Amino acid sequence: MKNALDKNHMIEPCIEKSHQATLFAKNITKRYGTGSTEVIAVRDVSLMIQPGEVVLIMGPSGSGKTTLLLILGALLKPTHGEIRMGEEDLVAMSEKKLPEIRLRKFGFIFQDFNLLSALTVKENVAIAAQLAGLKGRQARAKAETILVDLGLEDRLNFLPEKLSGGEKQRVAIARALVNDPALILADEPTANLDSKIGQEVMRMLRRIAKDQNRSVIIVSHDPRIKEIADRVLWLEDGQFKDMVEMALDPVCGMAVERENAPASLEYQGETYYFCADGCQQEFASSPQHFLSPDHSLQHKV
Amino acid sequence: MIRSFRLYEASISTLSVLLLYPYSYEMTISVAVKNLLQDKVRILLSATGVALAVMLILVLNGFVTGLYQQVSAYLDNSPGTLVITQRGVTNMLGATSLIPTDTMDRALELQTVADAVPILSQFVILNLHDLKQPAYLIGYPGGPGTPASRGGPWNIIQGREPLTNGEMVFDQVLAKRHNLRLGDRFELMGQEFKIVGLSDGTTSWMTSFIFLRKVAVEELLRAPEATSFLLVSQEPGIDQAQVINQLKQLEGIEVLPKETIVANDTKLLVEVFSTPLQLMAGIAFFVGVLVVGLVIYTATIERQREYGVLKSIGACNRFLYKLVIIQATVAAALGAIAGIGFALGLAKTIMHFRPEFLIIFESDLIWLALGSSFAISLLAAIVPARTIAKLEPAMVFQRGR
Ligand SMILES: Nc1ncnc2c1ncn2[C@@H]1O[C@H](COP(=O)(O)OP(=O)(O)OP(=O)(O)O)[C@@H](O)[C@H]1O
Ligand SMILES: [Mg+2]
Repeated sequence: MKNALDKNHMIEPCIEKSHQATLFAKNITKRYGTGSTEVIAVRDVSLMIQPGEVVLIMGPSGSGKTTLLLILGALLKPTHGEIRMGEEDLVAMSEKKLPEIRLRKFGFIFQDFNLLSALTVKENVAIAAQLAGLKGRQARAKAETILVDLGLEDRLNFLPEKLSGGEKQRVAIARALVNDPALILADEPTANLDSKIGQEVMRMLRRIAKDQNRSVIIVSHDPRIKEIADRVLWLEDGQFKDMVEMALDPVCGMAVERENAPASLEYQGETYYFCADGCQQEFASSPQHFLSPDHSLQHKV
Repeated sequence: MIRSFRLYEASISTLSVLLLYPYSYEMTISVAVKNLLQDKVRILLSATGVALAVMLILVLNGFVTGLYQQVSAYLDNSPGTLVITQRGVTNMLGATSLIPTDTMDRALELQTVADAVPILSQFVILNLHDLKQPAYLIGYPGGPGTPASRGGPWNIIQGREPLTNGEMVFDQVLAKRHNLRLGDRFELMGQEFKIVGLSDGTTSWMTSFIFLRKVAVEELLRAPEATSFLLVSQEPGIDQAQVINQLKQLEGIEVLPKETIVANDTKLLVEVFSTPLQLMAGIAFFVGVLVVGLVIYTATIERQREYGVLKSIGACNRFLYKLVIIQATVAAALGAIAGIGFALGLAKTIMHFRPEFLIIFESDLIWLALGSSFAISLLAAIVPARTIAKLEPAMVFQRGR
C-alpha cells in the first residue's frame, strides 16, 4: 500500500522535510537502569512521520516497541535524542507543559482500553475534551458526534463493563480523537480483540487517518495489521532492521529503502539510491568523489 | 470558640483555593462522586469514620461548654457585679472564705454601693446511701424579692424556698438520684432538714447545690454571723473601678468582679478536665483522618491505573488532586452531617441517664463539625495525592511492571 507521502523515512540530512512532518525523531536512545541492570531498550533510532501516514512498528517481544512509542508520545523522556513536533522540541520541554501537549497533540489507544470504569461511554470521551477546556455540554456534544460516527450511538450511556471488547476499543478511539490530535499512538490495540473485530477496528483507524489527515503509529505483533499500514518498521534489539532491501546513500551515508528511495541514479551500470534530490544532485556533479574508498569508508558502519 | 473559628477560616481559605482551579467543576465533581459511589461500602466506611470523629469532637466540646456553664451558673444567677471574699481568696467554688463581720455594714455605708447580699457557703461531703457525694451548701438571707435576688435558688421547679431554719432546697438531679422527694427529711451534719423545694440548673458532675437559710448554716457550722462572700451591687452609672477602689479600703478582704471569680473557678475546675478532653477530641480528629485517609488511599491505589490513564491523556496533577480531595470532602461532608446527628443523639442519651453531665452545643456547632470534617478530608487526601503525583503516565502502557 503506497502513498505519495511515505517516501520519507529515517532521513537525517533532509531536514527541510521535517518541517511538514507530524513528528520528527532523531537519534533516540533509551537506557533503563544503570550498571549491571542496564538495558538499552532503544538504540539511536530516527524516524519521521508524515501527516495522514499510518506506520506500523513490529518486532519481537522486548525489542523496545512500547518504549519507543512512549518516547514518541512524550510519555517518557529518552536518554538521548531529539523529538520535534512542528517547532517544539518535546525532549527539552518542561514536565509542566507536557500534559497540554499530550492532551492536544496526541491521542493514545491502549491494549486494554483503559476506560474509566465509573463513567459512561459518553463521559469517558467527554472528559478528555473537558480536560482540554471545553464546557460540559459542548464536550458531551462533541463526544456524541464522534461516538455516533464510530457506530456507538446505542451505547452512549453504557458503563464500560457492559461493552464488548471491540466497542470498548472504539470508545478508546473516540477518546483519542476528541481533541483533534495530529498523531494517534496505539500499543497493541488489537491484542485483546478477536481477529475479525481487530481488523475492523484497525480499518476504522486507517479511515480516520486518511479522512482526517492524522498520523497513526501502531505497535503490534499482529501481522494482519500490515495491510492497513502505509509503512511497516521492524524493531529488533532497539534498532530498526531492514524489512526491505536497504542501500546506503553514497553522499550522506543514510540507509535508504531501495524500493522507496526518493531519488536514484544509474552510474556505470550500478543504481545508486539517495535520501533526497539534493544528495542525488551532489552525487551527479562528481560521482567519483563519492565513490572513492576514502569517502565511503566514512560511512562504513 | 477560638479553635472552631480557626478551622472555619482554614476551610474557607482552602475552599477558595479549590475554586481557583482550572477545569469545569461540574466534571470534576461528577467524576469524583461517581468514583466514590461506585463502592458503597467504602463511602459508608469513610463517612462513618468521619461521623464518629465529628461526634466525639462535638460531644467533648459540648461537655467542656457545659462545664463552663455549670461552673459559672451560681454567679450568673445571683445578684450584683462584684464579690467580696476573704483576703487571699480569689475564687468561690472549692474555696473556704470568711470575711470580717462588719464588712457588710461598712460596704453599705458607701455611696457607690447599692446593695450587698451576704452568703455563707460550705463545701460538704454528704453520705447518701453509703455513697460519698460532694455538695455545696449555700446559706442565703431571707427577705423580700425572689430567692435569686438574695443569692438563693433561681429555678425552683417544685415546692418553694426555705422559710425556716429547718428547711432546705435540694438540687433536683441529686434528689432524683437518691430518691429524695419533696417533704422528705434529710440529715445533714447531725441535723435534720425538711426538703421544701427542688431546684434545677444547680448541679454539675462535681458537685450539687443545697440551699438553706443563712442562719441555718451559721448554726450548722457553729459560726454565728459568719459570712463567706458578699455579693455587691453598685449604684448605676458609676465606674466599677471606683467602687472597687473604695471597697478595697475595707480590712481583710478582696474585691473581685464576678467575671474574675468565674475565670478563677473555671481555671481550677474546668481546665483540669478541659486539657484531657481537648486531647481526646484531637485524638478523635486524627482517628477520623486515619480512617478517611485509609479509605481514600486504598480507593486511590485501586484506581491508580485510571489516574495513570488520565495522566497519559493529559490531565495534570492538580486535576487529579482535586478528584481525590473532592472524594474525601464528599465523604467527610456526609460524615459531618451524620456526626452532628450522632452527637445530638449521644448527648441526649448521656444527659438522660446522667443528668449531672451537661453537654451544650453552641451555634458554631455546625462550623465546628464542617470545619473539622473538612480538615479531616484535606489531611486524608495528602497521602493519596502524593501517590498520584508520583504516578508515571507511562505506567499505563507498561503491563505487569
Ligand atoms: N521501566 C522499565 N525499566 C526497566 N527496563 C524496562 C522498562 N521498560 C522496559 N524495559 C526493558 O526494555 C526492553 C524493551 O521493553 P519494551 O516494553 O519496550 O518492549 P516491547 O517491544 O514493547 O515488548 P512487548 O512486545 O513484550 O510488549 C525490555 O528488555 C524490557 O525489559
Ligand atoms: Mg510492548
